[in-house]
Amino acid sequence: MLEMKGIDKRFGAVVALNKASLTVKEGEVMALAGSNGSGKSTMVKVLAGLVAPNAGEILIDGEKKIIHSGTDSTREGIATAFQDLSLIPTMSVKDNILLGCEIVTKSGMVDEKESRRLVQELLDRFHIDCDPDDYVQTLMPSTQSMLEVAKAVFRKPKILLLDEVTASLHYDEIATLFDIMRELKNEGVSMVYVTHRMNEIFEICDSITIMRSSETVTSGPVSDFTLDDIIFYMTGARPKHSEAKTAAAEDQDDREVVVEVKNISVYPKVKDISMKAYKGEIVGIGGLEGQGQPEVIRSILGAVRPQSGSICYMGKDVRFKDPAAGVKAGIGFISGDRSKEAVFDIRTITENIFAGNSAKESLFAYLSAKKVRKFSEDAVKKYNIKIGKLKDPASSLSGGNQQKLVVARWIAMNPNLLLLDDPTKGVDIHSRQEIHDILRECAANGMTVIIAASDTDELLNISDRVYVFYEGKVAAELSGEFKTSEHLVSAMMGVKEKVQEAE
Amino acid sequence: MPSKNMTFEPNANKDFFSKLNLFVQTHTALMAVIIAAILYIITIIINPKGMNTVAIGNIILLTVILSIPAAGQTMVLISGGMDFSVGAIMSATAVLTTYTMKGENGHFLTVLIISLAIGAFVGFLNGVCCVKIGLPAMIVTMAISNIVTRMQYILTQGVLSGKASPLFSSTVKFKLFGVVPHIVVYALIIWPIVFYLLKRSRFGKQLYMVGNNANAARLNGVRVTKIQVLSYVFSGMLAAFAGMLGAAYMSTARCQIFDDYAYQSLIAVIIGGTTFAGGSGSYEGSIAGSLVMILLSNLLTTLNPTQPVRNVLNAAILILLLVLYNRGKAVRQ
Amino acid sequence: MKESFARFRRKPAFTGCMLFLVVLILNIGIQGWSTCLSNGVSVGNILSFFQPSALKSIFMTNLPFILVTVGQALLLLVGQMDVSIGVQIALVNVICIMVPQEWGVPVWVGWIIAMLAAFGISALCGACCAVLRLPALLASYALTYLVNGINVLIMNVPQGSVPKAYWKPYQSTLFGLIGGKDAPQFLKFLDYIPVPALVLAAVLLIWYFISRRPFGKHIYAVGTSQRNAFAAGISPVKVQMKAFLIKGFFVGVAGICLTLMSASGNPLQCEEYGIKSLSAAIIGGMGWGGWGSISCGVFGGGFLVLIQNTVYYFFTLLSKIFVGFSVTSYWQNFVSDIIIFGGLLMTIVTAKEQRKTLQQGLKAQFRRGEKYAK
Repeated sequence: MLEMKGIDKRFGAVVALNKASLTVKEGEVMALAGSNGSGKSTMVKVLAGLVAPNAGEILIDGEKKIIHSGTDSTREGIATAFQDLSLIPTMSVKDNILLGCEIVTKSGMVDEKESRRLVQELLDRFHIDCDPDDYVQTLMPSTQSMLEVAKAVFRKPKILLLDEVTASLHYDEIATLFDIMRELKNEGVSMVYVTHRMNEIFEICDSITIMRSSETVTSGPVSDFTLDDIIFYMTGARPKHSEAKTAAAEDQDDREVVVEVKNISVYPKVKDISMKAYKGEIVGIGGLEGQGQPEVIRSILGAVRPQSGSICYMGKDVRFKDPAAGVKAGIGFISGDRSKEAVFDIRTITENIFAGNSAKESLFAYLSAKKVRKFSEDAVKKYNIKIGKLKDPASSLSGGNQQKLVVARWIAMNPNLLLLDDPTKGVDIHSRQEIHDILRECAANGMTVIIAASDTDELLNISDRVYVFYEGKVAAELSGEFKTSEHLVSAMMGVKEKVQEAE
Repeated sequence: MPSKNMTFEPNANKDFFSKLNLFVQTHTALMAVIIAAILYIITIIINPKGMNTVAIGNIILLTVILSIPAAGQTMVLISGGMDFSVGAIMSATAVLTTYTMKGENGHFLTVLIISLAIGAFVGFLNGVCCVKIGLPAMIVTMAISNIVTRMQYILTQGVLSGKASPLFSSTVKFKLFGVVPHIVVYALIIWPIVFYLLKRSRFGKQLYMVGNNANAARLNGVRVTKIQVLSYVFSGMLAAFAGMLGAAYMSTARCQIFDDYAYQSLIAVIIGGTTFAGGSGSYEGSIAGSLVMILLSNLLTTLNPTQPVRNVLNAAILILLLVLYNRGKAVRQ
Repeated sequence: MKESFARFRRKPAFTGCMLFLVVLILNIGIQGWSTCLSNGVSVGNILSFFQPSALKSIFMTNLPFILVTVGQALLLLVGQMDVSIGVQIALVNVICIMVPQEWGVPVWVGWIIAMLAAFGISALCGACCAVLRLPALLASYALTYLVNGINVLIMNVPQGSVPKAYWKPYQSTLFGLIGGKDAPQFLKFLDYIPVPALVLAAVLLIWYFISRRPFGKHIYAVGTSQRNAFAAGISPVKVQMKAFLIKGFFVGVAGICLTLMSASGNPLQCEEYGIKSLSAAIIGGMGWGGWGSISCGVFGGGFLVLIQNTVYYFFTLLSKIFVGFSVTSYWQNFVSDIIIFGGLLMTIVTAKEQRKTLQQGLKAQFRRGEKYAK
């Protein structure tokens, strides 16, 4: 059906694809797996016509095709649901779905009535609860992701590309999506399914192609692979089934409370959350996506203002008016959304590492170039960040190294309390391990760490104690022997089994 | 300078262009100097008499004047904004200078204080409207500069009035050894301050951070609004001071005399490698860009075409420069 | 009724429309008052704004500006702009006058050539901004020099004339155009409609039909996100070029209206329209790229026009109330610019309203989601 052979792509000096290839048969769901930066998304974008490859060829039904633009891609029967969404926020749901394939009457005018009917049908099929006339920007992220898929399916493609569409979906939406994918499969539609979630690969996919550092390493039917195999091909190393380290259950009341959150609510997601963190402790926050984890973390920092409740930091009631006040009080924040919230991509590595320091102290005091350079050289050495030159822009680094850059930025400032919001999102396993080691070391030296993570294993592995959020409330607090993945998952799903209620 | 020779290579192919483009994008300041040199060489070839001390002195003088509002513009652009009011502020302080000095010495300090206060106030207003209220920078700064312009007319009733003090004028115009104008002394004060702000202070670091990724900067503990408003205030003050120097150079000042400096400074800064998107750019580039703008107008003067032809040529060269520099990224990579 | 008003409040054109209405009422009031003071109180004088001659003159002198603002609004929608739009209508004016005068061809041939020139210069600007991807502000600023130079090359000093047969119908009201002097009494109100207003209506009607085509959706997509539009199979360059050409049409009509209004040529006029139309469009509620509508342009342009009118009558009124009060036109300009700045600040209201809508939308979905979970 679809075959890509020897695809090369370079962005300047960076090699994004190196003789990459893949083959999809008719009516087959093929998983495209690989750690971040391995070139999966670039492959998808080549097929979508957004990226022009430097070499290689694309065959559809054995015929050589050239895809220069979105129009070419659509003509070949390819439809794409992008990871970063291709919806237009200022347009209505209806106009978005029909964009580029408007229903017109004979006179060339848009047929609003017929459009509405078709769109409503599509929304019903996808169980999307919104009006065709709603502006997309007023919809929740998960609804937008579903729309993105619906928009692609509406084009009645022969080949459907789904690039990490489940990242922000709820579990019931994922179920709907999988049902639709099975229907499409029966109709003979071929699908390329890019995902980070291993269980989804085994659930829905027939075959798998794995990419590592811009190359296709292996492919074959999913049944030929075990989870360990997939991880091996993705990372080049067998996963270690080591014991999760757990801090000894101490008598917690003796320790100094660094931060205590009391009954805060942040509209609309957080309803009533209370939690506390002790000195030198790593506190995890778990839960499905969108249960209010980011909001709670940001309200401690001062980036979000809670409607009610109080936050007690170092024994004092505080309400920081902006993150600057929080940072001044010794709080550090590391976000997993690097491009939007952490990295200054066109600035140099030096400046990125020094950014935490730049934000502190007096604005107009003399700052010697030597001091700045030394500061970042030390950090690069200490945290083993792989860089070209210190003067290179941060965008020249891989995702994992960018994240280490951000971690180094804050650890070097030695904050009293470090907040992390899904810091290892899209970070390769090796860097992830290194970041965990850094955090453990810091906690051992008396830093308090609060970390929200979407990955349950990671959460159980790193934290001493886990709060599980569900529907804007604390569903469970897990520590000691209760800190197991069974308890965590059941609490995440909202199963009423309150383990060791918060005092 | 291999790239300069390559510019005249007859069979230029696509690869050469992409190389040239890469060079331009990575060495913006140097590239601006090269362009300036080319422009000057062409001028000399056309009119060898143009290479005299008076002409060179004037080029230096005008470049310095343009480089001062360009400094403010650089800061504002780096922080992700745009300041169109520098021209009106310059005109206003120029008018104010001649109006207050009336050709007498001894008013310098008064004028300086009032001018800087006006510049700071207008800058602050710009900053608040663009950053805090969140209106498009270009439109707001234009609307505010319109008001500033109207005030010039109300003050002078549209007639040419007053004169810069002779002492002040001579501190700008008098030429050392007949070549280097005294205005260089002012540049030696202003330029280091700007370099200090951009490169050796946390303000500069934060400015770049804010321009590159305002959200990340905020979460990092930077007071984004404060930094951006400050950049507008500095821009206003620098423009105000440049207006005074301009008045000293021209001796008399009519209303709207320096309005064109809004565009001039903007293009100079862009040629110097600062981008509209914010987060990148340097002051050395802006100074070189100012030099390019002045030499370009010098070249056009040398060619001595009629005014309309001059306009057409000017447009063609500007577009050529823009093509070389500031093309947006293609949608398809 | 209440609901449709609430919906209207969320539209981008809301503040523009409100500002326009407020100024309109102010204008009617102040102009009426001023006329009453000099000519005595009567219904006709109170409503002197609506006198056919007054209406006609306000439409006639300002139609070019409003058309230009509409063109600018269209460009803003696709994420572009053109500050040389002002000198472009001067170009059309110059060609309209000089071609018949120099070549001895009929006037309408001159008009066609002028229209073609408007399309040509718009295509050039489009080529710079959309195809070469230069920053629109700077590229069109450079084009200002170019067009200015061309204007003067074609016509060095203001000169020329238009045959009366052409400008007379334009400068009259509906009946002046179609001859309805014998119309029955109850149709007399039609005579209040000035011909320039009909031209505006016709242009907007044409736009209405264009906007109902898929192109009308594509401009929003391209303005908001070129990449996403491209991914959906729309060529951003083509859409932007089309927008520039349609703007060329608006500029052409505006230039011809300008010619008919002044019945002469001037190479150096209307340059300030470039920037003024931008502010007008923003006041009317346009955002940068993908937000707004053409009505924003109409309201914004109308607002600016009426402000100047109102301020003029306001100062006339003051001089009549306080004998001996007189100020120069500099003060009038100052006051109108301050009000324009105020209008700009008013656009925050729309922004706020939109934010509120967004929150309400989220709230509703959240509640729905809760219900769904149970």
